[in-house]
Amino acid sequence: MTARSAAERAAFPGARRRRARADGGPGVYLALAAIAAVSLAPLLYMFRVSFGAGSDLPIAPSDWWAGRLTLDHYRALAAGGPIGRFALNSILVSGVAVPLDLLLSAAAGHALARGRSVGRGVFLALAAAFLILPKQVLLVPLYLLLAPLGLLDTYPALILPHLADPFGVLFMAHYYQTLPSELEEAARTDGWSGAAVFWRIVLPLSGPGLAVVGVNAFLTTWNAFLHPLVLTTSESMRTLPVGLALLAQSEHAVNWGVLLAFLFFQRQIVEGLLQGSGR
Amino acid sequence: MRPRRPLAGVLPWGLCFALFGLIPLLWALVLSFTSLNPLRPDLTHWVGLANYARALASPAFWHALRTTCIFVVGTLPPTLVLAYAVAALLARARRAEAFFRAAIFFPATLSMVVISLVFKSLYAEEGLLNGWLARLSLPHVSWLQDPALALPSIMVMDVWASVGYYAILLLAGRKTLPPEQLEAARLEGLRPSEIERRIVLPHLRPVILFVVLLNTIRAFQIFIEVFVLTRGGPLESTLTLVYHLYDRAFYHFEMGYASAIAYLLLLFVGVLLLLQRRLLGRGAEAPA
Repeated sequence: MTARSAAERAAFPGARRRRARADGGPGVYLALAAIAAVSLAPLLYMFRVSFGAGSDLPIAPSDWWAGRLTLDHYRALAAGGPIGRFALNSILVSGVAVPLDLLLSAAAGHALARGRSVGRGVFLALAAAFLILPKQVLLVPLYLLLAPLGLLDTYPALILPHLADPFGVLFMAHYYQTLPSELEEAARTDGWSGAAVFWRIVLPLSGPGLAVVGVNAFLTTWNAFLHPLVLTTSESMRTLPVGLALLAQSEHAVNWGVLLAFLFFQRQIVEGLLQGSGR
Repeated sequence: MRPRRPLAGVLPWGLCFALFGLIPLLWALVLSFTSLNPLRPDLTHWVGLANYARALASPAFWHALRTTCIFVVGTLPPTLVLAYAVAALLARARRAEAFFRAAIFFPATLSMVVISLVFKSLYAEEGLLNGWLARLSLPHVSWLQDPALALPSIMVMDVWASVGYYAILLLAGRKTLPPEQLEAARLEGLRPSEIERRIVLPHLRPVILFVVLLNTIRAFQIFIEVFVLTRGGPLESTLTLVYHLYDRAFYHFEMGYASAIAYLLLLFVGVLLLLQRRLLGRGAEAPA
């Protein structure tokens, strides 16, 4: 997941420099249309089911149009239930973890990019190693660490582990290395403190880098599953992915309205993050 | 003269990283040499390599490893081939490319929980797939209840979920190829298949290596799909390594043993990455 959002943006620059490219003809478009249909079909299916009644699943293509249309799922969603709480938990966890992660990543990334200390290489190498580390290794120790502190089943348990984000630090360190340091040095010669330089010069210039780290951090916290599953025990502390998965196991029918809301909400936040950071 | 400042800015992050990253990592190694069970603290003691010996002698562990390997080996080639083909198609579409790209990338924007819940309903006994089979007068299939079919069903879902993402990565790689080079090859009279094999494929090598690495690491840690769709069943036919670890640690509270499994998982991922570097060539850096 970690590399995902960083890599995907490489795919969407408005690069419009190829004109010489051959057009593939009808076969290419037919194949692409088929692939696009397969990619989108589950969403369309969900969309249709979300307007169905109870646990009805429309089956034949004819039922898609003929079947009953109701707003039952959306009424149930508006009526509350545990889903609202899951959503609130998810928003709270991401809302606290992402800004904190950005701040820590920016501070550490900047210090590592500008620093001349020996520890620098060690930190960067450790962070890089943690990028590919299977996170499940940390599961049992985190549980044992948080349990005696009375932090199991609390928001800190859901938030704190995300602050050890190796991607954020690596990416920001790389980002600051491409940023000229003359301005910071001039300010420092004028007698500015390190903190003032960081807050008033470095951070305002960090938008594009923080956007990448922010989107990545948001997707990581928002979609986190195994850690929140293990580190919480009561239903009222579940985040959306965990809560939905457990609810679907205890109840017969999935609330399809919720799934759709979950999806669109995620998209909105990611796009908001991208725009808010001046990209 | 630049003042040699201590790495003060690193401190807050470094503290979190140590507390929630490094220390747990080392702690897990220590735990793997103990018989820690929070329900029976009286039985906790140093057992040396016994947990590792137990895992390597345990049929359940080998079964979970085998299931995971089948999943990794079974999903990687179709994902890669399909993603490559889709990227090649996208590169040949001059009109509506943005639409096709967005549609094909769409599954990558979905949460794995959502994908799993949707496929659970598609695969259900009374679900869409069986409904269509019935219409075509074909026999009913228990996609997730048949031990022979459950794992392949999850693998198909996983391929569906990953192809678009990797296709977009490969497309991005193709776009870094100078159009003049392709034009020159065409003028020289190379057939499209030759251009693909002799120019595009070598150019995409680093991206392909990156896709293979990324997908292997990810697939080796498969958990959500299994948790939502089958919970390791039926008859443990979808019991993967991470699910086995989760089951041992949090259902049986054998946390020492689970830590040994975690370190074995770490070892396998490391070995796999080294092997792939060897096989697919070195010097290829990740484009991200």
